[in-house]
Amino acid sequence: MAKTRESAQVLLVAYLLFCLRPAPANAATGCDLSSPDRDVPRLFPGSTSYTTRYMSLLADELSSVVTRLDARFRGLYDPLNVPYTIYEIYTGKKKVGYIHGVNQKGQFGGIQVFVSLDLDGRITAFYIQKITGPSAGTFRTPAFGNQFLGLSLRDFDSYDPVSGKGSGKLPAIRNPAPDMETDFYSILRALKKNLILMDVFIYSTTRKNP
Amino acid sequence: MIGRFRIAWKNLWRKKARTFLTVGGITLSSWVLVSLLGFNRGYENALDRDIDNMGYQLMVMAKGCPYEAATLMLQGGTGLRYIEQSTVDSVKAEPGVAMVTPILMQAYFDPNKGENGGIAGYFGVDAASYAAMKPFLRFKKGGWFIGENAEEVVMGFEAAELEQRDVGDMTFVPEKNVQLKVVGILERTGTQDDGTIFVPLKTLQRIAGTDRITTIGIKMEKDADAGGLEARLYELPNVQVVSFTQVKQTIMKLVSTARLMVFSIVIIALLIAMVGVVNTVLMSVLERLPEIGVLKAMGAMPGDIFLLIWTETLILCSCGGIAGIGLGFAFARFTGVLARRILPYAPKGGLVEIDLRLAAVTLAVIVAAGLVSGIVPAWKAGRVRPMESIRSAI
Repeated sequence: MAKTRESAQVLLVAYLLFCLRPAPANAATGCDLSSPDRDVPRLFPGSTSYTTRYMSLLADELSSVVTRLDARFRGLYDPLNVPYTIYEIYTGKKKVGYIHGVNQKGQFGGIQVFVSLDLDGRITAFYIQKITGPSAGTFRTPAFGNQFLGLSLRDFDSYDPVSGKGSGKLPAIRNPAPDMETDFYSILRALKKNLILMDVFIYSTTRKNP
Repeated sequence: MIGRFRIAWKNLWRKKARTFLTVGGITLSSWVLVSLLGFNRGYENALDRDIDNMGYQLMVMAKGCPYEAATLMLQGGTGLRYIEQSTVDSVKAEPGVAMVTPILMQAYFDPNKGENGGIAGYFGVDAASYAAMKPFLRFKKGGWFIGENAEEVVMGFEAAELEQRDVGDMTFVPEKNVQLKVVGILERTGTQDDGTIFVPLKTLQRIAGTDRITTIGIKMEKDADAGGLEARLYELPNVQVVSFTQVKQTIMKLVSTARLMVFSIVIIALLIAMVGVVNTVLMSVLERLPEIGVLKAMGAMPGDIFLLIWTETLILCSCGGIAGIGLGFAFARFTGVLARRILPYAPKGGLVEIDLRLAAVTLAVIVAAGLVSGIVPAWKAGRVRPMESIRSAI
């Protein structure tokens, strides 16, 4: 009887902790890997460790990023002035690249697009951590993700992810889910945002200690 | 003519270092005491606020698995038990029940959330009764569903932010492949509602393929007999009752261990401070035996000397007590943050609430403890024999 009461109390507390839990805070902040210890080795094979850095856009950088993203579609990229999480990847003591993710509004929910980048800014892995929709799974297949390998920010110079028009390698990437076309272009926009942010934070020389 | 208070003050001022150290000890005791009393009150009030924000004081759910929400969390919604919706009418008919709201909780597996998938939770609610029970809910944008069968959702602030949803956007229920339109986004409440997606009860029942519910939230009438109502609800078939008073008591029991430990430390600190007071005042008496002897030779009665020494104790304790209370006020927020880190569960809001009444109680305790400590040295000073003490100085 005493045991039953005890377990009832434990459940009661578990229930209470659920009911009275503080609401998840800062959902609108950057985009974190849900389990970095598990995800980093998968997204960066051969890596041995990683460090986490949090970076934010400076005032002048913010306006420049908005311009580069295309001001007409600013709403799609908001909010930009949040802290961004950058995973610096190491093999032994040598830095070998970065992993960075961004949030993007999708047709049925938030989309989280991560890329692994080498030290020159080329994509070595592409990962959609979260996407919602009837054919969402097709965007998470290796077949879709592998099409982005080797691309860099330069590939977006000749391609507009808002209209879907341009030349180069990007137009060759096909939407695998016709019922989620909005999300396909959202993913491309998210990728461009991701690469621009990494250019500002890491690859451009305007900041000290990239 | 110089008064007793002034003499006592001057005496204390003669040995500044000793006086400051003693006052320091009392300050610390007073600080800890006022903070503990403030925590006692603050924690309970914060817990009450959290429970009030739930909107209901009692919950009725299916017998078997006592805590549906815990099940949702642990089993991804597969272990849910249901009650008949007719139970709502039976509950409503009970005396003492002011309002009831039926709730259907559902959780669906979303394979595209994280590496291995995640759970998407939904609350099926009857907008009218749910909103009536939580009058503090305000809309940031939009409003409640247009009808009880509407294919719509209302999202809590955090849920909308996470999913980047705005009014007019669509959401998608995984597993069931159902699309629902966002018609309202709630303002941030600081409660679990912030992370919740609300669906009209009948719509969620249709999606889930059930005509039953998982929970009934009950708001009692003011001054209703909670125990009696709980007992009557237990007589309904196949249900069990969770009372938030009971939940509060369980949490308070968990916290009481921590409180007991801190309270023991307060007692020890208070005892150390009392010993410090005895030591300081007694030393001061022993050093001033010839002076006390002169005072008595000039006609001072034992009672006058007793009161003089007691006044010194009073000054020491009052200064220390007031300084400690000041620190308690100044660092209440910091103490709350510290307590939040240590405690197994801390409700939202300030955990340490100190007001003037509490400050007065603390000061009274400190002064009373100090005066008790001062009895021995004061009594000793009062019994000094004038001739012997004057002679000892020669």
